Amino acid sequence: MPAGRPGPAAQSARRPPRPLSSLWSPLLLCVLGVPRGGSGTHTAVISPQDPTLLIGSSLQATCSIHGDTPGATAEGLYWTLNGRRLPSELSHLLNTSTLALALANLNGSRQQSGDNLVCHARDGSILAGSCLYVGLPPEKPFNISCWSRNMKDLTCRWTPGAHGDTFLHTNYSLKYKLRWYGQDNTCEDYHTVGPHSCHIPKDLALFTPYEIWVEATNRLGSARSDVLTLDVLDVVTTDPPPDVHVSRVGGLEDQLSVRWVSPPALKDFLFQAKYQIRYRVEDSVDWKVVDDVSNQTSCRLAGLKPGTVYFVQVRCNPFGIYGSKKAGIWSEWSHPTAASTPRSERPGPGGGVCEPRGGEPSSGPVRRELKQFLGWLKKHAYCSNLSFRLYDQWRAWMQKSHKTRNQDEGILPSGRRGTARGPAG
Amino acid sequence: MEDPQADSSISFLPHLEAKIRQTHNLARLLTKYAEQLLEEYVQQQGDPFGMPGFSPPRLSLAGLSGPSPSHAGLPLSERLRLDAAALGALPALLDAVRRHQAELNPRSPRLQRSLEEAARQARALGAAVETVLAALGSAARGPGPEHSATTALSTANSAASIFSAKVLGLQVCGLYGEWVNRTEGDLSQLVHGGVA
Repeated sequence: MPAGRPGPAAQSARRPPRPLSSLWSPLLLCVLGVPRGGSGTHTAVISPQDPTLLIGSSLQATCSIHGDTPGATAEGLYWTLNGRRLPSELSHLLNTSTLALALANLNGSRQQSGDNLVCHARDGSILAGSCLYVGLPPEKPFNISCWSRNMKDLTCRWTPGAHGDTFLHTNYSLKYKLRWYGQDNTCEDYHTVGPHSCHIPKDLALFTPYEIWVEATNRLGSARSDVLTLDVLDVVTTDPPPDVHVSRVGGLEDQLSVRWVSPPALKDFLFQAKYQIRYRVEDSVDWKVVDDVSNQTSCRLAGLKPGTVYFVQVRCNPFGIYGSKKAGIWSEWSHPTAASTPRSERPGPGGGVCEPRGGEPSSGPVRRELKQFLGWLKKHAYCSNLSFRLYDQWRAWMQKSHKTRNQDEGILPSGRRGTARGPAG
Repeated sequence: MEDPQADSSISFLPHLEAKIRQTHNLARLLTKYAEQLLEEYVQQQGDPFGMPGFSPPRLSLAGLSGPSPSHAGLPLSERLRLDAAALGALPALLDAVRRHQAELNPRSPRLQRSLEEAARQARALGAAVETVLAALGSAARGPGPEHSATTALSTANSAASIFSAKVLGLQVCGLYGEWVNRTEGDLSQLVHGGVA
């Protein structure tokens, strides 16, 4: 900053958190512009160097030219910001060796390494540069959620606070400690399940609550989330059930049987597992979910379409582990397993209905009756193969329901045992 | 009567030639990688880095500069010695640029990996060139790589600014490309001219 002139920029400008010289230790760099073994070359210094500013604030900067050649002057110098020449009306000569610049209402930095403000000589050569960091302080991170895989670790995720970008690199640090004692610990393994996440791999206590929070820090300040208190046992998830098998149920066209194994990692712990199944038709994106599968390792899906390929997945919730009152966290879905429902041989429309043998009328009532019989079969039988046993059951049902008909066994001759529907059962 | 020394020289030559070709191929490959590194570097620093005509003043890295205009006129063995010395000094500089970029561009792990790779590649190529020199009987080396690096990195005055650090990184990446390219050219002369 120009000596004796703090100016408004100084109030919004802040020094970077630590000097770069520490990063380069034991390196020491030349200030840009020091000539290589040369003399008689103009050099310059921009002030302030690498300021940090709030979006919307102003900056007053100077480019002061040095030179061992008499007559070195700031006349003809100009500024660029990120490679674009700044209008001359934004700068003015403070004195013969200093060109001043006034920037107002600054936008957020274009790149994380800072905006490049450069002072040029008349011929365009670069005399000096300074990097501007323009942004916002971090907002409070929120929405921390954590889960433990098989009680062995803890992974947490959070949402950064800024509604938009802070335009500055913001560092997030997940901290945790045991609620009533112990020191603050810092998570070290970041970005495990996305950009704002951290994984604590080991040394976690059970049956005692942790306090967890996130601290966000950038060049303009810091913010801390609310504290989340949890017991690891209340946020347990597990692996998807292994060995999911889907198979047909005999010849049943509308059913499939699903079997799986409970997740082995938690098999030694007392818990009531809950399972969910979801399934979809092969070329559909709509899953149907079967919710009410508690503590079983098999389930039968019904009401399916015949001759159709289905994809099936299963997931597990280790509910009530070690007596926890809280629901656990659902595992990921298992890998999809596919199977198809059977489709029996069906005669097409207009064919396959048995005609009476010669001399017998193709009577309306017979056809109606058969149609009714087939309809009844669909509802009440698990088997599409006709049999006299089933037919007798149907006849008995018909009589019971007061639908009296004269069933002349001549109408349904024994020859019909060999109907298109297949052999008698 | 057979001369055992002649025999061993003759049997040694194919190995040496193979080694020279291999080193030349490595240098050619690294020339491409060096170009990519430079592109990646300037992209992360923001404009005007990477813009046509961007030419900041060269910062002083005592002990390491680009190949001089008179380099091509030197004897081949001397050129290769200079190549090896420069390649030996570059890893420390590339590592320093990487550490700084980790602070300046923390969301660019790819650039950091590229800088790390470049340091490894420079070290490998330098060692290969030294092996060739030793096999040619020109094993005398200049200052060791550690000395060159320290010399290159030392200077007098003030603390670095971020802009000058960006410029320095640009210079180092540029030097890496220049020296790898120069090494490739010198080795190609050896490949095509044969082992004298």
